[in-house]
Amino acid sequence: MVNLTIDGKQITVSKKATIYEAAKEAGVHIPVLCYAKKLLPYGACRICLVEVEQMKGRLIPSCTTPVTEGMVVNSISDEIRKVRKTVLEFLLVNHVVECPVCDKGGECDLQDLTYEYEVVTNRFEGEKFDLPTDEINPLIERNMNRCVLCGKCVRVCDEIVGYGSYSFINRGFETKIATAFDRGLNCEFCGQCVSMCPVGAILPRPFKFKARPWQLKEVDSVCGYCGNGCTVTFGTKDNEVQTIRFNDKNGVNDGNLCIRGRFGISYVNSDKRLTRPLVRRNGHLTETSWDDAIQVAVAGLKAAGDKLGVISGARLTNEELFLVKQLAKTLGTENLDHSGGECYKGVTEGLKETLGIQASTGTFPQVEHCDAILSIRSDFYETHPVFGMVVNQAVRNNEAKLTVIADKRGKFTKLPNARTLLHKPGLELNILNAICSVLLDEGLAKTDGIEGLNELKDALKDYSADAVAAATGVGADAIKQAARELAQADNAAILLAYGLPYTAYSKELGTAAANLALLTGIAGRPGSGLYLCGEKANSQGAVDLSILPGEKGLGAQQMLAAAGTGELKALYLIGEDPLTSYPDRALVEKALEASFLVVQDLFLSPTAQKADVVFPATSFAEKDGTFTNAERRIQRLRVGITPPGEARTDFAILQQLIQEFGGQAPATSAEAFAALAAETPGYEMVSLEMLGPQGYVWGGDILQPESKKLLPVAGAVAVDGDYQLLVGSSLYHSGTVSTGAKGPMAVVSEPYIELGREDAAALKLVDGDLLKLKAAAGEIQAKVKVDRRLPKGVLFTPYHFSQLELNRIYRGQAAIAVEPVKQ
Amino acid sequence: MSRINSPAELESFRKEILSQRDPDKPCITLCSGSACLATGSGKVFAALEQEIEKQGITAEVSFRTTGCHGFCEQGPIVVIYPQGICYLKVQPEDIAEIISATIKEQKIVERLLYVDPNTGEKSSLEEDIPFYKHQQRLVLGANRKIDPKSLEDYLAVEGYQALAKTLFEMTPEQVVGEVKDAKLRGRGGAGFPSGVKWDFARNAPGDQKYVVVNCDEGDPGAYMDRSVMEGNPFAVLEGLMIGAYAIGANEGYVYVRQEYPLAVSNLAIAIEKAEKYGLLGKDILGSGFDFTVKVHRGAGAFICGEETSLLNSLEGKPGEPNARPPFPATKGLWGKPTNINNVETWANIPLVINKGADFFSAIGTENSKGTKIFSLVGKVNNTGLVEVPMGASLRDIIFKIGGGVPDGKQFKAVQTGGPSGGCLPENLLDTKVDFDELTKAGAMMGSGGMIVMDEDTCLVDIARYFLEFLSDESCGKCTPCREGIRQMLKILTNMTNGLGQEGDIELLQELAETTKGSSMCALGKTAPNPVLSTLKHFRHEYEAHINHQKCPALACKELIAFYIDPDKCKGCGACLRKCPADAITGEKKKIHVVDQGKCTRCKGCFEACPAAFDAVRILSGEPVPVAVPEEV
Repeated sequence: MVNLTIDGKQITVSKKATIYEAAKEAGVHIPVLCYAKKLLPYGACRICLVEVEQMKGRLIPSCTTPVTEGMVVNSISDEIRKVRKTVLEFLLVNHVVECPVCDKGGECDLQDLTYEYEVVTNRFEGEKFDLPTDEINPLIERNMNRCVLCGKCVRVCDEIVGYGSYSFINRGFETKIATAFDRGLNCEFCGQCVSMCPVGAILPRPFKFKARPWQLKEVDSVCGYCGNGCTVTFGTKDNEVQTIRFNDKNGVNDGNLCIRGRFGISYVNSDKRLTRPLVRRNGHLTETSWDDAIQVAVAGLKAAGDKLGVISGARLTNEELFLVKQLAKTLGTENLDHSGGECYKGVTEGLKETLGIQASTGTFPQVEHCDAILSIRSDFYETHPVFGMVVNQAVRNNEAKLTVIADKRGKFTKLPNARTLLHKPGLELNILNAICSVLLDEGLAKTDGIEGLNELKDALKDYSADAVAAATGVGADAIKQAARELAQADNAAILLAYGLPYTAYSKELGTAAANLALLTGIAGRPGSGLYLCGEKANSQGAVDLSILPGEKGLGAQQMLAAAGTGELKALYLIGEDPLTSYPDRALVEKALEASFLVVQDLFLSPTAQKADVVFPATSFAEKDGTFTNAERRIQRLRVGITPPGEARTDFAILQQLIQEFGGQAPATSAEAFAALAAETPGYEMVSLEMLGPQGYVWGGDILQPESKKLLPVAGAVAVDGDYQLLVGSSLYHSGTVSTGAKGPMAVVSEPYIELGREDAAALKLVDGDLLKLKAAAGEIQAKVKVDRRLPKGVLFTPYHFSQLELNRIYRGQAAIAVEPVKQ
Repeated sequence: MSRINSPAELESFRKEILSQRDPDKPCITLCSGSACLATGSGKVFAALEQEIEKQGITAEVSFRTTGCHGFCEQGPIVVIYPQGICYLKVQPEDIAEIISATIKEQKIVERLLYVDPNTGEKSSLEEDIPFYKHQQRLVLGANRKIDPKSLEDYLAVEGYQALAKTLFEMTPEQVVGEVKDAKLRGRGGAGFPSGVKWDFARNAPGDQKYVVVNCDEGDPGAYMDRSVMEGNPFAVLEGLMIGAYAIGANEGYVYVRQEYPLAVSNLAIAIEKAEKYGLLGKDILGSGFDFTVKVHRGAGAFICGEETSLLNSLEGKPGEPNARPPFPATKGLWGKPTNINNVETWANIPLVINKGADFFSAIGTENSKGTKIFSLVGKVNNTGLVEVPMGASLRDIIFKIGGGVPDGKQFKAVQTGGPSGGCLPENLLDTKVDFDELTKAGAMMGSGGMIVMDEDTCLVDIARYFLEFLSDESCGKCTPCREGIRQMLKILTNMTNGLGQEGDIELLQELAETTKGSSMCALGKTAPNPVLSTLKHFRHEYEAHINHQKCPALACKELIAFYIDPDKCKGCGACLRKCPADAITGEKKKIHVVDQGKCTRCKGCFEACPAAFDAVRILSGEPVPVAVPEEV
């Protein structure tokens, strides 16, 4: 700690603090333009200059200068005021003053400072910038005539996002921020640059001319897309979420968001939302009253007796999931499940059988300080981009050694010094086994208090680094090196995302990752962590609340199969669109056809179109409650807008159904939370009051394993065939709901089949060509996208789009053997 | 000879080289520095080669091209040893005579000797030429003795002796101590004590460290580093390796301007040869010390001479400075501790090690030790590179070595320290040239630029010129430098165009102070120096420009008028014929008149008017009298 004086106030701050940070702590206001808490010190705008008694004769940039013992700082004086005012005059010389029509007006740092320093006239004049506005993409507008060259966009894109879209070009007065070759912006469109821009130079296009900042009502909530659980702040007006506001005070994401979180909100105000209940009459779904719809549903479900099943999505709140569970109980069925591919089994079975827990052991911020990180699949960044940004920072700021076990390249594999273990599709398990085997062979494994060591050793005999290298196409040295780094790191992390398109070997991968976490000592060690991250906003909540089949109950796939054969008579699907997103379309089609079907959703999804009753439900922006993210952080959702038409919250619908069946449901969401906390392991001590701006992490920063048991896992066998199709997530989408949002659709509007350049050349395909893929179970076709990240013979398609009908050939395989036919 | 594996092998190789050289054998050296190449050294080289063969003296004479001798005004330069006979401005057609007269008959070719413009005296020997006589060429001296492409030549002048001593007789601490004791200060501009800087990098935690040579010399008219790098790359590399050993680095980078192709190619040859002899690479001289060096060419930005910008550029990022701290010594290239010194600083290191700290620190003034190379240019008779002990006076450099101002003009000012240095007037000519005295006087040492100005130079225009350069070169990162320089330039341009206003001086002063006090790096912090120093010493010129639209030096085109004095004009028509703008009317024996509307102020008439008449006058700040073209 260091003692210093600022404006006569004596304070003690960390020796790593800058003068600016110390002043902030002391409650002294120093103006800044180019400073941002989460970015490295930069010091370009020179607004934050102060006087330091020990450094007379010049002004000191407070945002870059570290404090020293005994420092005496004056944050304001006539001289400082004069210089700051001159700097503002300088900035205003060429800044195009368009405040009346600039969306930033009212929250523009330059405008505020100009006002604060009373820059009424400008002694200087000069040419104004006259640069064309970049509005090629529909999401981010760049008007460089308003730029003050603070460089925050350049830095956030480089330091946090790790994309590097921007750089300064030219010099002196000609300096400007540009993209490569000064072309239109074409990037991940996470909009971090939008959130950082202190002026109106980078703006969210969907929000243009929608509202003045002071007209917006701000509501803090949690993003409804993925398991990262980013906090978002809605800016609402006219009962619409007009925009997502920058807020780095809440949650775990430091104000960072991805394209989905920032630009994917529009589906909540979509005119395609269901606004009235529908009931199938004479073969057609027709609008009806709630009473009628409820009665039809209740009658249908009652008629099925106990031959029914309930399948929920993982984007319901904990409180709603609790009601789902209660409803199942009231209905007297153990046929309860979520996420039809059973992709969560890595957590519910893999981790459970080894570590005795069903959740990630660490929290996201700890990963920034890791020395070694293993990501199983490059897709981790695509499914959890904001957690991915933490990994970026670990690599950049902490020189973490990143190893990616990958069947294709991706954002992670491009990070500085990333080691990519590029393997034949489906063989992740074999490599995890090989890493474990290296740890044991080289005596690097931590084996104290661990059960099952001998069995594992025996089982790993066939998985020496050399043997696995030969089978998977990965270098043996790379495997060994990765093992050593993980074993030797003080802090290490293992990342694995799960979700509907990653069903194959889900349990086995969880077990293999847990084995590795045990042998490296990662599981339960402070600073380290094993992260199994769910695809959906409340995937972890669904596991915590045990939205799973009971002992005698059927899982989602089994329920669908049973419904297809008539064993089950009715299905109640809440926030799920199995027809689009579950593996094995034939199975789903048959089930939906044969059973009495109640669907509860925002849109008339392909599944809903098959229903007998459709309940219009509400989006995350229209309800309160809690989500539990992939690091066990329980956070609050708050009502931003009211639902359209007669749509009701899932909570209200479930509440009524429970009552119709004679059950007792909590009256409010708060009551439901208290009730669920009481019976959910880990939640026992949690109350809503404990959920502060950063939420509450159940189990603490480090969740200790309850057992340490190694379990042998058999490796996989490579898929035969010249061409193999991988199924997965695209960065711009999440599940199927993002296909109803303008932002993600503006970037990726339709399904595609991605393939590498070599294959494209061999098949004589270019971007946009139509390609048919024939597989054993059927065929799909889509436009071609040629990229560099796929190895020869490997193709990729994202699973989000209903029109692709991907599950005609995707039945949960790790890779699908296909025959490509140019159309 | 192959790899040299020990100091003993190095010494025996050196002896072998020296034993093959007969000190009495005539040796013709030809300067092949960039300046001499520009004045035709290449053709002279061809002629020499041809003539030596033609006259059949291949065996009797040795012939060597060397680096820059420094007397660039007088190139191409040929020096014939052992006597040291110096021929200047040598052209290919002079070669036959030089060989037949001087080599064969020991006769001097008088017309190629140096003639003192002030006394008319001739000097036949290099050492007698006043330009050389008053210098102390400890660093630049080797340039004229060695072929920069020859490792053998470098070994012949004690090359690598310091490295051998360092690696085998000294600990890294001792090396740093020696450099500290020598009180060597960085030659790049800031004058930071090199030993102290080395110690920072040495003590900074980290296994991987780097050393960097800053050869991004960007000051207009300055080329000290260029000449050292072109003429003696081995010395720079040797210094670099000694520094690397001292701070614990095994990798080095040389950042050279793209505009220095000869430096790049000579450096590349030097690296290749040093590698071949085991004087670079693994296990140098069998010491166990490894060192590799890479050459990086800068893309032509002045700012990249600033160390953090240079490192950014080296990493492939835009050449812009970083906030310091952290300093490169703790967080430099790729975030690792890095010691970066300028070419001349590195070239001083072998000297410090060979001769010792006591020898070095005996030269110079209290706080500035050793010698310094200056690039003496502008309105001075002997332009070129000058190496003098620290503490030499400006007067001695400009008048004794530089031979004073040509054409009998009055000395007006000298600008030291490059574009962001300061202009010092005549009454400060006795200022001792060292880091502190120059700063005290309102100028700075900089990297060693020295531009002499005579009475015809307008100091307002000079300030404008330097600010124009700096405005172009400001990287644009921080606001005060990006915009402050531009605004100062705007005011100065207005002044030189006769558009100065009351209050401009005060505004300039404020802008200068703001830019100086609030810019991020040395470029912005020193950019106002030309304004501040000229305002301090030549304020009356500013006032004349603003208050009377008058340029006292008669240099600002917009403020002057050419007028033909009717009393003096003889109607000869010389001016009329010269005028490119048809602005002069007149007939034989009639008084000529300048049409001010057409005149482009090219000064042609002024120069054309016969000295005997001296009829063309330059007016400024006064109305041009109306003249009638009447009979003479």
